[in-house]
Amino acid sequence: MESVVKTFRTAAAPVTVLKGIDLSVLPGEFISIVGRSGSGKSTLLNMLTGIDHPTSGSVVIGGTRLHQLNESRLASWRGRNMGIVFQFFQLLPMLTLVENVMLPMDFCESFAPAEREPRAMQLLARVGLQGLETKLPGAVSGGQQQSAAVARALATDPPILVADEPTGNLDSRTAEAVMALFQELAAQGKTIIMVTHDSLLAKQTRRSLVISDGELIHPAVSAALPRAGHDLLLKFHHLARPVHLPAGAEVPSSLQLGIVAGGTVIAGQAVWGFGRLVDLAGLRRAGGNPRAGSQPLKLLVLDEAEVRSLAESVRRGGQP
Amino acid sequence: MMRPRWHKALADLWSNKMRSLLVIVSIAIGLFAVGLISTTHAWLGLAMRDGYAAQNPANIIITAAGFPADFVDRIRNLPDVQEAEGVALVSLRVQTGQDTSTPIDIQAFPEMDEKQINQLTLLEGKYPPADREIVLDINKLEDTAARLGDTITVQLPSGRLREMKVVGIVRDMTIGAGGMGGGYFIASPQGYITFETLAWLEQPELLNQLHATVRSGDADLEHIQSVAGTLMDEFERNSLITISRAAMTSTAHPNNPYLESMLGLLVMLGFLVVFLSAFIITNTLSALLNQQIQQVGVMKTIGASRFQIRSIYMVLILVYSLAALGLALAFSDRAAYALLTFLSTRINFNLPAVQPVPRSILLQALIALIVPQVAGSLPILQGTRITIQQALSGTGSGNADRPSVVYRWLAKIRGLSRPMLISLRNTFRRRLRLVLTLVTLILGGAIFIGVFNVRTTIDHYMDRLGKYFIADVNLTLSEPHSIREMTAILKQVPGVVSVEGWAGARAELVEPDGSVGEAVILQAVPTDSTLIEPILTAGRWILPGDENAIVLNEMFNESLPGIAIGDTVRLRVNGEETEWVVVGFFQFAGKSGGLLAYTGFDHLSRLTSMTGRSMFYRIVTAEGMHTLEQQEELGAVLEAHLKRQGIEVSEITAGLSLNETTARGLDTLTTFLLFMALLMAAVGSMGLMGTMSLNVMERTREIGVMRAIGATDRHITRLVLVEGMLIGLISWVLACLASFPIGKMLSDVVSIAIFSMPIDFVFTATGVFIWLGLVTILSILASVLPARSAARLTIREVLAYE
Repeated sequence: MESVVKTFRTAAAPVTVLKGIDLSVLPGEFISIVGRSGSGKSTLLNMLTGIDHPTSGSVVIGGTRLHQLNESRLASWRGRNMGIVFQFFQLLPMLTLVENVMLPMDFCESFAPAEREPRAMQLLARVGLQGLETKLPGAVSGGQQQSAAVARALATDPPILVADEPTGNLDSRTAEAVMALFQELAAQGKTIIMVTHDSLLAKQTRRSLVISDGELIHPAVSAALPRAGHDLLLKFHHLARPVHLPAGAEVPSSLQLGIVAGGTVIAGQAVWGFGRLVDLAGLRRAGGNPRAGSQPLKLLVLDEAEVRSLAESVRRGGQP
Repeated sequence: MMRPRWHKALADLWSNKMRSLLVIVSIAIGLFAVGLISTTHAWLGLAMRDGYAAQNPANIIITAAGFPADFVDRIRNLPDVQEAEGVALVSLRVQTGQDTSTPIDIQAFPEMDEKQINQLTLLEGKYPPADREIVLDINKLEDTAARLGDTITVQLPSGRLREMKVVGIVRDMTIGAGGMGGGYFIASPQGYITFETLAWLEQPELLNQLHATVRSGDADLEHIQSVAGTLMDEFERNSLITISRAAMTSTAHPNNPYLESMLGLLVMLGFLVVFLSAFIITNTLSALLNQQIQQVGVMKTIGASRFQIRSIYMVLILVYSLAALGLALAFSDRAAYALLTFLSTRINFNLPAVQPVPRSILLQALIALIVPQVAGSLPILQGTRITIQQALSGTGSGNADRPSVVYRWLAKIRGLSRPMLISLRNTFRRRLRLVLTLVTLILGGAIFIGVFNVRTTIDHYMDRLGKYFIADVNLTLSEPHSIREMTAILKQVPGVVSVEGWAGARAELVEPDGSVGEAVILQAVPTDSTLIEPILTAGRWILPGDENAIVLNEMFNESLPGIAIGDTVRLRVNGEETEWVVVGFFQFAGKSGGLLAYTGFDHLSRLTSMTGRSMFYRIVTAEGMHTLEQQEELGAVLEAHLKRQGIEVSEITAGLSLNETTARGLDTLTTFLLFMALLMAAVGSMGLMGTMSLNVMERTREIGVMRAIGATDRHITRLVLVEGMLIGLISWVLACLASFPIGKMLSDVVSIAIFSMPIDFVFTATGVFIWLGLVTILSILASVLPARSAARLTIREVLAYE
């Protein structure tokens, strides 16, 4: 995803919901995108799934430029390459669970017709729905419906799984089961992108991205300030200025505060790695001499005065 | 500032324009149909009754052997007579091609430009014609192959030909008035000339038909008949021989039986259309309320009472109704005028100067105000009765997400592809909606199929009537000839197999008081005739040895109530009073057949002093010569053959021509019925389109989900189309069943109007298959738009829908 901007035209004024998002996901990654309501995470998901078109920028998945396909081709591509799990399950109420799972195979003509039912039964068994295959969605619980929805998302054996708040409507035990299944799938090489507002859930993924006000917070910033609210993270994201230093180079004395975004900072025996906030000025005052480790150092540099002013406004209870 | 609740009503209307349009169009279609029907009803009455009366039609028509002009003055001076005119009525033949000709009835009036009775409406050219010119009536103009400005060639009895210029085209609404044996539809082309032209056409300058109007009581048939009796007495007092008489009111257009059946059908269909529209409205409003359930919950939460919520939706319905009323009013009069124009050429009336019919507007307004409110009341009551908890949780809509018995049963169906299963099960998701949609389609379909059955039923009956006229060629000579000689002469022509000489006489009923009553056609057939197979309803047919035995048609029951087998009937035949014993009753063509009776040839020929001789011959041809064209061809050969023998032919008709002419009248009725059936089908398919649109609207989310899991445009379009076609197919099966009672009912309405009795109902598969094709096309058309909009839905819209 490169420089993706999405602007909606409203009666009042145009609203930019995504502000130049850059995102790369590697095959087999299990990542989460965390954001509050209105942060733009659903819009981001819509861009990823081709559900919506970016105003500018591009989305390329496996070499396919999604937004160059028409709606019908996109649907077909999506059916083969991407399984989607919705927050509200979205099973078709007129079909039984097994038929719901078979449906994507019918649409996409994947697997021979004779193989589809056994495969659907197998997938339902895998999500723990043995014996319920011929039930209509209305006759089973919400958790069971979501499990069936996961089975449906896997029906065409797509390499990518996208889940929008997959546990949002589930009790904690069922939610855990679903997450365990995702872990298992990720271990088998599926790329899983999960959108959630639950940061605890996000911690179970290998990479977690925070989105706030249409911008992806630099992962190092969100790692450095785990307890900070998304608005504060965004402020830090805006304040941070990237500085790259070669391996072993001394950190210039003008830099007062920094977050490690790549490589390490070494001062004496102490080492700060990815996502650590380093008080460079303090280290110097204590006689340390911060420098880059054996790898090139990527540092997100913060201005101390600005950080203090930010901290003061937070302390007073005002907006950051 | 507008109160928020009314603002909400308007916002609801405006926010979903497609849905609003659907509701408005659904209501408007019903109103349109009602407007069309009630306006046509009013205008038809205006045209056929008032328009006919405006021609000052004769109340009494007496046909006589001849009478002088001063006799007309004498009649005019009778106290009960308003106006009287004499007409010279002659039958000639007009050439239509090299060897073909057609009979033409020509009326000559002594004072043509001062004609008061049976006024003609000039459509083109001029009227009155000058001497040796002719004006033709528009109705059978085609048969003469002539147009305004053309010259027609008239064959004279002497064999000479006369050319006459067609200088005017008129409409004569009185064609068939008082006529017997079919009236308008089997009448010959009509021409109008000056009295002075008669001699040039080798015709006697002799009046032979008297037209009279009554001074008062022109709507009282009994009074008119009594005046007619007085006139007949006057003829008798003056020793003038009368042939027939007819009495009718000033509003009795000759095609009134057709009008009555059409009006009967219009009223019946009008009720049905309102009923069906109410179904469509109920369907649409139920869907609307279902979509509003959560809002109802929210309004209740913030303190709205049920009444307040209901009033919001009632106002919304009112706005829909008013918009629909405007739409319907804009189109119904135009459509009614188009229908009237079509009918005017078929059943012979002048297009009246029409004005909006206040009754029709009022009716549409009343229906617009009441029916949608009544139809909407159930969904509104249901929608506002649910609890806040149900409303907010979205469980109050009673949708099919919770599996029902039907659903569980449908879930057992295997072997179909998932998309097909979706279509099948979707069909049954909204069962009430399905039922209402099916009812509209079933009624439309059943009426459509019923129309074909009515046509077949009447055709079948016409075939049975055709058994009264089995002969291939009917020959009428100018004067009687020996049957034996004629048979020998006719058999000289190749193709003639057998010949029968029949006899016929004009007769009149003699009333108990001795006065002369209605005219009767008395036919006499050889007792061993193989050319007539009557439909006997009681008693027996004429047998050898019968003397004054007579068999009567069903119309005698109206003229002589209570008449039974063994009774005696008094008839005046050729001026002589005779007594006849009724031996049987047969069924004929009802009102259009007039009074018809059969007796034995020998007896009547003795009575008319024509033993062994006849003017009327029935000819049977060899096998393989039974088409109308072949019969007409043989007729021409026979005419030429007889001419060579010096025998003058008055008329020669193909046996099948009667069927053809009668079919024309029935075609008008069936075309009209078909139009109405198509209107019903349109209402039905509108209902289906509404249902499919609502289904798509309600399933936006599901369509988005299907898109998300790989469904292409084709998949989505097919899902909707298949569902629409399934509904169409189900309705077809049920319409086939419903077409039996509905077809029988339609057939009874039509046959009672035309034949004065219900006739045996015959079922045909034609309508069934045509409707199958049509309902399939309609289902596809009704589903195409919703399917296209479904296919166009993007998942983003689906998410927005959430």
